[in-house]
Amino acid sequence: MEELRKHAKELLENKTVAAILAYVEAGPQRTKPAIITKPEDVSKMVFNEYCLNNLAVYLTKARIKNLAKQNGTVMKLGIVAKPCDIHAVVALIQESQLKREDVYIIGMNCHGVVKDFGMEFSGETLASKCVPCETHKPLYYDIVLGEEKQTPAVSDEVLAKMQAIEKMTYEERFEYFKKEFDKCIKCYACRAACPLCYCQRCITDKTIPRWIESSPHSRGNFAWNVVRAFHLSGRCIGCGECERACPMDIPLSLLNRRMTETAKEAFAYVSGRSIETPTLVGSYDVKDSDELFM
Amino acid sequence: MKIGVFICHCGENIGRTVDCPRVAKACEWLPGVEVSLDYKYMCSDPGQNMIKDEIRKKKLDAIVVGSCSPHMHEKTFRKAAVDAGINPFLVEIANLREHCSWVHDDIDSATDKAIDLVRMAVEKVKRNVPLTTIEVPVTKRTLVIGGGIAGIQAALDVANAGYEVVLVEKEPSIGGHMSQLSETFPTLDCSQCILTPRMVEVYQHPRIKLMTYSEVEKVEGFIGNFTVTIRKKARHIDEDKCTGCGLCITKCPTKKKAFNSFEEDLAYRPAVYVPFPQAVPNIPVIDETVCMYYKNGKCGMCVKVCGREAIDFNQQDKIVTEEIGAIIVATGYKLYKIDKKPDDSPIKGYGEYGYGKFKDVVDGLQFERIASASGPTSGEFKRPSDGKEPKKIVFIQCVGSRDESKGFSYCSKICCMYTAKHAMLYKHKVHDGEAYVFYMDIRSGGKMYDEFVRRAIEEDGVKYIRGRVSRIFEKDGKYIVRGEDTIAGMPVEIDADMVVLATAMIAQQDASELAQTIGIPYDKYGFYNEAHPKLRPIESTTGGVFLAGACQSPKDIPESVAMASAAAAKALVLFGSDKLEREPVVAYVNESLCAGCFACKKVCPYGAVEVKELKDRNGVVYREVAYVNTGLCQGCGTCTATCPSKSVELAGFNNEEIFAQIAAL
Amino acid sequence: MKEQNWEPKIVAFVCNWCTYTGADLAGTSRLKYPTNVKLIRVMCSGGIDPVFILKAFERGADGILVSGCHPNDCHYNAGNFHARRRWTFFHELLDYLGIDKDRLQFSWVSASEGKKFVDVVSKVVNDVKAMGPFKGYEQLNKEFMTEFPDVSGVNNDVIIKEGEAV
Repeated sequence: MEELRKHAKELLENKTVAAILAYVEAGPQRTKPAIITKPEDVSKMVFNEYCLNNLAVYLTKARIKNLAKQNGTVMKLGIVAKPCDIHAVVALIQESQLKREDVYIIGMNCHGVVKDFGMEFSGETLASKCVPCETHKPLYYDIVLGEEKQTPAVSDEVLAKMQAIEKMTYEERFEYFKKEFDKCIKCYACRAACPLCYCQRCITDKTIPRWIESSPHSRGNFAWNVVRAFHLSGRCIGCGECERACPMDIPLSLLNRRMTETAKEAFAYVSGRSIETPTLVGSYDVKDSDELFM
Repeated sequence: MKIGVFICHCGENIGRTVDCPRVAKACEWLPGVEVSLDYKYMCSDPGQNMIKDEIRKKKLDAIVVGSCSPHMHEKTFRKAAVDAGINPFLVEIANLREHCSWVHDDIDSATDKAIDLVRMAVEKVKRNVPLTTIEVPVTKRTLVIGGGIAGIQAALDVANAGYEVVLVEKEPSIGGHMSQLSETFPTLDCSQCILTPRMVEVYQHPRIKLMTYSEVEKVEGFIGNFTVTIRKKARHIDEDKCTGCGLCITKCPTKKKAFNSFEEDLAYRPAVYVPFPQAVPNIPVIDETVCMYYKNGKCGMCVKVCGREAIDFNQQDKIVTEEIGAIIVATGYKLYKIDKKPDDSPIKGYGEYGYGKFKDVVDGLQFERIASASGPTSGEFKRPSDGKEPKKIVFIQCVGSRDESKGFSYCSKICCMYTAKHAMLYKHKVHDGEAYVFYMDIRSGGKMYDEFVRRAIEEDGVKYIRGRVSRIFEKDGKYIVRGEDTIAGMPVEIDADMVVLATAMIAQQDASELAQTIGIPYDKYGFYNEAHPKLRPIESTTGGVFLAGACQSPKDIPESVAMASAAAAKALVLFGSDKLEREPVVAYVNESLCAGCFACKKVCPYGAVEVKELKDRNGVVYREVAYVNTGLCQGCGTCTATCPSKSVELAGFNNEEIFAQIAAL
Repeated sequence: MKEQNWEPKIVAFVCNWCTYTGADLAGTSRLKYPTNVKLIRVMCSGGIDPVFILKAFERGADGILVSGCHPNDCHYNAGNFHARRRWTFFHELLDYLGIDKDRLQFSWVSASEGKKFVDVVSKVVNDVKAMGPFKGYEQLNKEFMTEFPDVSGVNNDVIIKEGEAV
């Protein structure tokens, strides 16, 4: 922790970065995101198992981008990032939303975070996204900090649930998801929390023509959730922020995880792992499977 | 908006299974429809006049025609609409013939479907936006790829019409396969004698830029406006200095390290060589793979003898770009080499014929070289193994052609004729020799062709045996050809001194790569596809790219030449106007909504999407967005479906129009 | 809707160059297929948005066919390759959400494959007939229509233009 604060202070003092997106304490077993711009504020910075937010979501916001523009020069933005958050940064670079040189990644070694604030960190309270996680060390970084610790091994509940759904009949599946989507109140918190939902105007907000019915009805809810999952297919880095943000507890990771598995199985692609790799949607291989087509 | 609906009976073609008056009546009640009529032949003059009159009388804004496929008469009705003062893109066709009356039997359900189709078209046309055709300039220069007889002919025709030509040939000389031939059927005139003057004409033509030993690397752009990148391979000889004296060739000490591919591997060539004495240009090439200098840095004999200091061992490949309006592809064919097929090769070859094992089993082009006066035997019939004159030759036709199990299902077309020619040439020189031909059928369609084959049989005494050869093996210094005479119904065995295989003509090895570079489709054999098998045999489906010669399918010389002249004519048609009109079906970006993820840029097959910087009033870039170069966009719409925020639309097929069609289902 | 008289509603999204022309050839060859199928023409299979599929289901389609040029034969070189990736995801997603794989089918039909077009279309019609009406979406649609009767007409998805009667 001291190491992190010391390094952050240096970065701000020697003007390497204009600001640092970081976590600060917000009560017992709770943190909140903060933008640190003054060296004296670094003492508030923390990093622990309660750093749930994916701060990469702020990198594409115009107001935060503008912080980096000072007196006509563009400075870097610093970000305190877990390895999974760095996947989002990589995906943003792949999708031209960010340049590698615009961001200073303070990569943190990570052994998992809790499901929700106020829980004692243990195998039982380990966030579901951390269960299948393979990257405990940052892949891209300007510096790596934090200690390496063992992640508690627990069974993959999301995967089990997914497999259970796949065993259902079509009708049961349709009913299951219809019921889940029915809860949707179209607050779009999932969209706001997603680091990869950076569109200027979301497809669901387009009215000429209207792409997705925005009325509070299960038909429109169904369409929204299908399109949201589809637009993240092959792109989702699995930070699970959408599900955490959802006030109605719709199990969005069940969808995202399924599409991530498809990307892996069909195209051997995992999103956000390499800046150089072309994005999955946006490239093609002549040898892609042709099974689907008569 | 006032819409007119016009339902065509197409005589009986639509009227028989679709109740056209009922369709017209039902469509009267569709929202926005002002008038709905049916008529016997909408495409006829009276029919078109009816449309024009109604447009004027009822002041219509858009029309829907229920008729045949838009691929047939969309242009006709658009023109009628324009005549009456409506934008041509406010015309929609409901396909009531190909997609309805012709494919259904039941009148009731077919009529119901027809009404649905018209309703969908009406809903679409309501959202259609008036568009103006795009004009693009034409670069009046032609690229000819391949310097065989087809390429030569096409280049000369275009150049003689007054336009510049860039002729690219991958070998060191132009001339192609025709320059290898001895005599040509059915006249038996010497191939070199008729070809060489043409080759020289190309070389000396002020409007032909000849680039030999060069290959096309990249083709960008579109009809009338291609940018072509060509790799000029290093000859290691300065083309400007070399006079073609040939001293380097005669003095080169590396004489027998490389096979002479022009002689079909029947002779050797030095490390520095011209493919054949009449080569155009007459400038040698140094073969890096065998030259002593590249092995150990020594020798340099050519440098010593060259009085012009033309040898340049450090010469590098040069990349040249050319601005081109039309492309003529004339890359020709190659012969099916039937020996030593690797196990993963799709074609398995004819191991039982011993090609590659027995020196005197040769293919058609090798025999051409043996028969040629300029060939390795100076035109004497000497077999490769011991140089003796063969007294008995067996010719086998259809080796690889018309044989799906071991070769290709198509007919190579020229083998019947050249085999007759081979046998005839042999009999003319070796009077006491015997010539046998194994054939499946004799296909000798063409002017004076059948007469030619008859002459070989009747006057020159070539013995034709109908049947296949099962095996060739060596016995007592003879090649025993074992086959079957299917007319006599009995097996035959011939003890031959030499065997000639008429192997199939196949596509060039790199035909598919070149097709992908240019962007033209090809069939499963690698031959290039024409746009229409009957009515557009010269054009590829890509605008501005034309086909000539055997790259499209097996062809003989006169056919290749005819096709080359036709391709030249097609290029000249293109150059007849200064501007090209294209349909305005192109994509456009809503810049205020674009987030600049450039997924569209990544998927665009034409590189038509560019990065545009949005600047504030101080000139500071605040955002990068996508921008479609309408000159390059071909209007596929892949970008529109890829864009997550739907900030790019395809004119003429925008999402609102398609949603309207779906809504009207 | 009575089960025995029920006829499925099938939509085919086809590319202009191959499948649409192939369907033309089916007509020219006087081949026969059921009247249930209606074609919507786009320029390339690469330009078919998955939302079109949802819209069609919302409009009561029981089965959908998406068809374009064979790989390597795309008029635009690569549109169909991009489409193939897109549909691999979308098809998996719909399947996972409980929409029978046979409700949304894909094919490559070239301009010379009139017969294949007929075979493909007939297969889709038969598969959908065997499955019966698309109950799941029908329910969604019905609920929608009763809750929002005002917008259940033809034009609720698209802006209504001036002077247009609904």
